[in-house]
Amino acid sequence: MSGHRVAAITRRLLQGFRRDRRTLALLFVAPLVILGLLGYLIRNTVVPEVGVANQDQGPLGGAVASALAKSSHLSVSTIDASEGDAKLKDGSITAYIVLPANFTQQAQAGVIAPEIHLEGSQPNQSAGVLQAVQAALGAAASGAPGAGVRVAPHVTYLYGGPDLDTLDFFGAAAIGMIVFFLVFVITIVSFLNERSQGTLERLMASPLRRGEIVLGYMVGFTVLALVQSAEVLVFCLAVLKIHNQGNVLLIFGIEALMAIVAVNLGIFLSMFARTEFQAVQFIPLAIVPQFLLSGILFPVSSEPKALQYVSDVLPLTYAVNALRDVMLKGADLTWPSLQLDVGVVAGFVVLLIAAGTATLRRRIA
Amino acid sequence: MSETYAVDVSGVEKRFGDIKALDGVTLRVRQGEIYGLLGPNGAGKTTLIRAIVGLIAPDAGSVAVLGRKLPDLDVLRQVGYMTQQAALYPGLSVGENVAFFAAINGVESGVDEVLRFVHLDNRRDSVVANLSGGMRQRCSLACALVHRPKLLLLDEPTVGVDPQLRVEFWDSFRRMAAEGTTIIVSSHVMDEADRCQRLGLIQYGRLLTEGTPGEVRERGGSQNLEAAFLALAGRQAES
Repeated sequence: MSGHRVAAITRRLLQGFRRDRRTLALLFVAPLVILGLLGYLIRNTVVPEVGVANQDQGPLGGAVASALAKSSHLSVSTIDASEGDAKLKDGSITAYIVLPANFTQQAQAGVIAPEIHLEGSQPNQSAGVLQAVQAALGAAASGAPGAGVRVAPHVTYLYGGPDLDTLDFFGAAAIGMIVFFLVFVITIVSFLNERSQGTLERLMASPLRRGEIVLGYMVGFTVLALVQSAEVLVFCLAVLKIHNQGNVLLIFGIEALMAIVAVNLGIFLSMFARTEFQAVQFIPLAIVPQFLLSGILFPVSSEPKALQYVSDVLPLTYAVNALRDVMLKGADLTWPSLQLDVGVVAGFVVLLIAAGTATLRRRIA
Repeated sequence: MSETYAVDVSGVEKRFGDIKALDGVTLRVRQGEIYGLLGPNGAGKTTLIRAIVGLIAPDAGSVAVLGRKLPDLDVLRQVGYMTQQAALYPGLSVGENVAFFAAINGVESGVDEVLRFVHLDNRRDSVVANLSGGMRQRCSLACALVHRPKLLLLDEPTVGVDPQLRVEFWDSFRRMAAEGTTIIVSSHVMDEADRCQRLGLIQYGRLLTEGTPGEVRERGGSQNLEAAFLALAGRQAES
């Protein structure tokens, strides 16, 4: 073992980085961006919006409603029970609680049965709401006359149900994410190979048009991506038994669109990388923020407002939303929300094809 | 009436940042001619070839190929370009690579013929990644020839090719030229330069002198082409 030789290797390595400013920036800037984003997201997560309809003619309903309003885990507004379902559907609340007219009488009889209506497509949020409501009820009930009242809420779900678990929630999004991520990496690396092995130079000196190159790539990778999408879908539905209420072909169609977005994003971003090493660096830049902000982990509606604007311009946000709508809520193409999501993803396809084609000429050697 | 040249480069300039890669090059190559571009590394040979195949747009001046002013995608169908580095798909076989370049030039046949021509017909199914450097070079040449171009640009084509095969290559080049194919070869190997009908010496992005190998010898004042070239290059550097 020679110290000199080891030092030569170490020095060689650091010298290389000195000229690759981009890698250095990534090494030291990317962790701050990713952790900062994650911290900001988690610390500033907006608590779920919950509506309370107090129909109790006795005093207990008011006491429970004010206990709920004080909960730090919920953001409570007073609503009318009749508008509850509409608000669940349009996403302005994630749950509403109805305290029935005979609520105080129920307490005197020993069992209170408030109605808890959950949106239901997000198991984590449902569980959080249930927990916070139970805590508030428990606190209010223990102060009621004839303490030792039992709480037996009547829980209903607009979508899904009590069996919906975390995998059902993440699975729908993961189908889009996995296809997007893998197709992107394969495309960017192989398009870069085309550049670095000199064959792109040859293609550009042939009668091929730029659009033909981009289209040829797109079709080739899309064929692969479609096979992968089908495999992922079958595995999720048949093996993992992920909850699905929607049309399988529609899910496949959304996956396919996302794969085409990934192909074109890969072609486009490969213009800005000279080596495979630099191409891989686009993963923390192009993929990780999308992963954090597309609603896969945290619902976009619970993000701080500033980040919601970012989420709104990411293709994955729309794909994730669309897949969840189809699989958890049984949405079809007659739903305006799904039309919007699919339309936006298709818009990204067109935009990225144009961008990839336009930048092809500029960087060939 | 002016003659139509296979290649007509007129006053072409090209800058890359502070470096003037081409500094007013004017050069005309007749149909069926074998024209050699000579010059040291970094002289501008490759840049000139890239301008002739339309890969770079000149800052000033114009390039016309086979009577068509560039940029013109359709004329590229009749141009074959062999890059300095053997630009091939390493994951494909020899036959697949050649068939691909035939297809993008709109040709379906000729793969077998061109593979025989470069003596790779017995390696048709070999994956390019497993070939030696010389074989890759031959495969790369086959890719440039498969669509029977009227103009062939070869950027240092015989690097890594053994002497015997080099002689065969040159015999073939001469045969192709006799059939009307125009060939532009860049090289810094002087015995190759001697096989060209005309030579252009390039240095610092300028065409120093042009003529038959005999004329270049005469102007450089030496029977040895290399010495003549060095003398001409040195004279230019002094002035």
